[in-house]
Amino acid sequence: MSDAAPSPPSAVLGEHGTGGPLRARTAPSSRRPSGGHGRRGGGGRSLAGYGFVAPAVVFFVAFFVLPVLYAIYLSLRGARLTGGGALGIRRETWVGLANYRDALTDPQLLASLGRMLAIGVIAVPVTLGAALLFALLLDVPRVRAVRFSRTAIFLPYAVPGVVASLLWGFLYLPRTSPFGFTGIGFLDEPALFGSVANIAVWSGVGFNMIVLFTALQSVPREVYEAARIDGCGEWQIALRIKIPLVVPALALTGLFSLIGALQIYGEPQTLRPLTSSISSTWVPLMKVYRDAFTTDDIGGAAATSVVLALGSLLLSLLVLKAAQRRTRSSS
Amino acid sequence: MRPRTRRATVAATAALVLGAGFTACGSSGPSADDPVELSYWSWAPNVEQVVETWNAEHPEIQVTVTDAGGNTDTATKLVTQTRAGNAPDMAQVEYPTLPSLVVGEVAADITEHVDDATRDAFTDSTWALTTFNDAVYGIPQDVGPMMMLYRADRFEELGVEVPTTWEEYAAAAAQVRAADPTSYIGTFSVDQTGFFAGMAQQAGAQWWSVDGDAWSVGIDDEASLAVADYWQGLVDEDAVLQAPILTPEWNAQVADGEILTWPSAVWSPGVIEDVAPETAGEWAMAPLPQWTEGDSAVGLQGGSSSIVTTSSDHPEEAAQFLAWLNGSDEGATALLTTVNNYPAATAGQEAATSNEPPALVAGQEDFYDLAAEVAADTIPVTWGPNYNVTNAAFADALGAAVQGGGSYREALEQVQATTVADMEETGYTVTR
Amino acid sequence: MTTLQSAPRATTTGPSPARGRGRRSTRWLPTVVLLLGAAYCLVPVLWVLTAATKSPGELFTTVPFRPGTGFLDNLRGLFSYGGGEFGRWALNSALYAGAGSLLSTAMSAAAGYGLAKFAFRGRRVLLVALFGGVLMPGITLAVPQYLLLSAVGLAGTYWSVLLPLLVNPFGIYLCWVFASSSVPDETLEAARLDGAGELRTFWAISVPMMLPGLVTVLLLQFIGIWNNFLLPFIMLSDQGRYPLTLGLYTLLARGSGESALYSLAVTGAAVSVVPLVALMLVLQRFWRVDLLSGGVKG
Repeated sequence: MSDAAPSPPSAVLGEHGTGGPLRARTAPSSRRPSGGHGRRGGGGRSLAGYGFVAPAVVFFVAFFVLPVLYAIYLSLRGARLTGGGALGIRRETWVGLANYRDALTDPQLLASLGRMLAIGVIAVPVTLGAALLFALLLDVPRVRAVRFSRTAIFLPYAVPGVVASLLWGFLYLPRTSPFGFTGIGFLDEPALFGSVANIAVWSGVGFNMIVLFTALQSVPREVYEAARIDGCGEWQIALRIKIPLVVPALALTGLFSLIGALQIYGEPQTLRPLTSSISSTWVPLMKVYRDAFTTDDIGGAAATSVVLALGSLLLSLLVLKAAQRRTRSSS
Repeated sequence: MRPRTRRATVAATAALVLGAGFTACGSSGPSADDPVELSYWSWAPNVEQVVETWNAEHPEIQVTVTDAGGNTDTATKLVTQTRAGNAPDMAQVEYPTLPSLVVGEVAADITEHVDDATRDAFTDSTWALTTFNDAVYGIPQDVGPMMMLYRADRFEELGVEVPTTWEEYAAAAAQVRAADPTSYIGTFSVDQTGFFAGMAQQAGAQWWSVDGDAWSVGIDDEASLAVADYWQGLVDEDAVLQAPILTPEWNAQVADGEILTWPSAVWSPGVIEDVAPETAGEWAMAPLPQWTEGDSAVGLQGGSSSIVTTSSDHPEEAAQFLAWLNGSDEGATALLTTVNNYPAATAGQEAATSNEPPALVAGQEDFYDLAAEVAADTIPVTWGPNYNVTNAAFADALGAAVQGGGSYREALEQVQATTVADMEETGYTVTR
Repeated sequence: MTTLQSAPRATTTGPSPARGRGRRSTRWLPTVVLLLGAAYCLVPVLWVLTAATKSPGELFTTVPFRPGTGFLDNLRGLFSYGGGEFGRWALNSALYAGAGSLLSTAMSAAAGYGLAKFAFRGRRVLLVALFGGVLMPGITLAVPQYLLLSAVGLAGTYWSVLLPLLVNPFGIYLCWVFASSSVPDETLEAARLDGAGELRTFWAISVPMMLPGLVTVLLLQFIGIWNNFLLPFIMLSDQGRYPLTLGLYTLLARGSGESALYSLAVTGAAVSVVPLVALMLVLQRFWRVDLLSGGVKG
């Protein structure tokens, strides 16, 4: 866990860094306070620290910690029949681990995880790959229309997810689409996975491109000039110098994309009325929504959420660990 | 923390003031100076105009309408908000979801607030839709006796006879495909549980029935499986279109005249009028095709009642308003003319017969006579306490069947299994 | 303003000098690939912009991407719909996103600064908890949040949408990175020696130093709240308090049964995108997204 919360780097990307960018970027994690200056002040200073974090902590407890604890409590409860008569009354009671048993043995949950994986396997690499490609191209000398392309590719980030999904929905339906002539069933399996992933890619590629592009821009130009004088072509510069330099930024964008993929929900939910191929439990969070709201099984929804959150946490930690090992070994 | 404390103080003060108000005029009930304010969720278009009439006539009971987002979202939010104690005083709900709202303690028992005049405004089978164990949980608002909307002009153009049995419908489907390959006689949509259930009822199915405290579930009974096989045959032969309805895609096809019928219910002309206004006048309404030649009874599809919620502090006044809106001659007529609903009250249905037909079927002068005739012979139905589970499972299982090529029959068996398992987990006794 | 403008330039050097110096011709292949990418991202936007100009009758019947004749009517219809609901939604969105992002950024800045520059017991626990917070899907939290807010009588109010979004674990994390990297300990020590209080040091010295990063956090949070759908969907039932996303969703949901509403919804979608795009274009150069990458190292 301690590695998951690293101390921030002492110098970021050459701003105050006196060393070259390579050194600055791959500065080893120092868990000691930066520069050896007395960060650990007296009691008064530490009190001030509490003061600064207090508002955030209060809100964090109120809107994250309490809801999570409440969700765990709810996951142990279920609606059960009380009272006589044919209909009776459903009331919440303690059901122990029954909701967890149901969630873990539910084939629909497993299937939805599979579909989420399929979308993630398409969306994450394509988003990252395209973002890296565009960022590198923007950084190549003597390329035209740079400002236009950069702005255009970034634009979808400003489109709300619901609106983006609806727009693409119109573009996928044969009658309303300018691409109807292709005869591709965008909303039928197997193309459906690509169609859903496409919306995620469209929304995400611009943001990731900007992260990578600014990382590239912060590299002093002299590094490339030196490489050019040594006779390196742009491709070689990109492969040998630029990509290694943006590995930390790539790891970050990768983690974001991964978290995004794990939480995929809005796109298929919005497309659902347009096709019979998307079931109410098509991805895990759709199942959570259905249980919580449509079928009034809030305990089941809470249990599934807890399982998913734990899974996400584990996976993210694994990815972080791997990224850190990478970063370290590249230094 | 400050705001919360202050809020608590305000609430306490408000309670005191309210309490004082009640003691002051406790015996005289609500007055125009101190009206009871009621909130009402309804997705019926223009219903606020009808409510304005009520508000003008009843200064002591003032109603505010909110559209909480159509039938599905309304039911969803009702359950959540009831759990938090925030639900509105009254809400419009569809008949199939009503039992689950009774079981979930969303709908209040309003038996003591409903008088005989209101009860007598409806037929027995309509009233039964909102009554469980002799307790009244809602006032019927509109009903949807099943009928078939069809493109009269295109039927004539292609030389196809209007089918009166499902067998004829299948034959006509093939005929349409042969005569015009771009057109279909109709659509099979996997998320239309209500339609499928209605058709199964017509074939003799009983999806839920109660004997004492024991339930029987018959979603995969012989009649229902026969309906599944029927549609599977049509879809497999590409004789009907398999697609979700009321999407931009489907709407465009309807507007282009490529969908020739929409077997559904009496309310369908209003929907198509909104979806494809340019086709107004080209349509006509026919009785729903039958399984056996000469039969006349049909199921109900859609339609809604309005309930008083358990969150309401004024169930009596709320019930009074709903009785006026749905059961009085004035209210029921307004529902017909302003909201364009087919009223559940018999007075409203009779008033309809002197009305002009909806614009979509403008040429059909006897539209409302036909509707009244059909409405008089509908099949009584019992919806189960977990229709919401069944509804979700239906769309999922049928959707998987049309995608993966599984049979509709197996899908229906799966829906049955899901429904029964859920009821048993909740604690119901299910005999089959 | 000088800090705002000069700081980004230190890292984002703008058009590289090499580009200006190049005497050789344009590189066409990268240019074409970039333009293809731009086209991919622009097509749906162009579709919605042109579709917004079409009258309901033209919407799905005329050639896509060709402007129609109904733009002004659509605009008029949009802003008069339901007694001016659309304008109300737009104001609500501006309120939620504007107030929410400002307050949230202030809170994140203080917390990030506190975490970076002060040692106190429980700091590591807090960091781990915040990291967990980033991973929590909003949908998991929404239901318990709703029930808890109901318990204190806030569900359905403006507060119910504003308050839960104020705490932004990722924003705090970013501010922590910014504070560590751009506020030297020496400066703080000097200020303390001069007798400045902690709050004054923070406000007068550290905040200006962190400002470029704070603009980034502000912008990210603004967009995040503006685009949020789930929380208002669950919290609100009164349409008068809806933000744009939710309002558009209801328009479209109704559009499936009333096709005249489609053109309103499409016009609304086009209109709702405009302010955000404008904001992004204006603030784009102040972004310090490169700083984000500092965090995964370690």
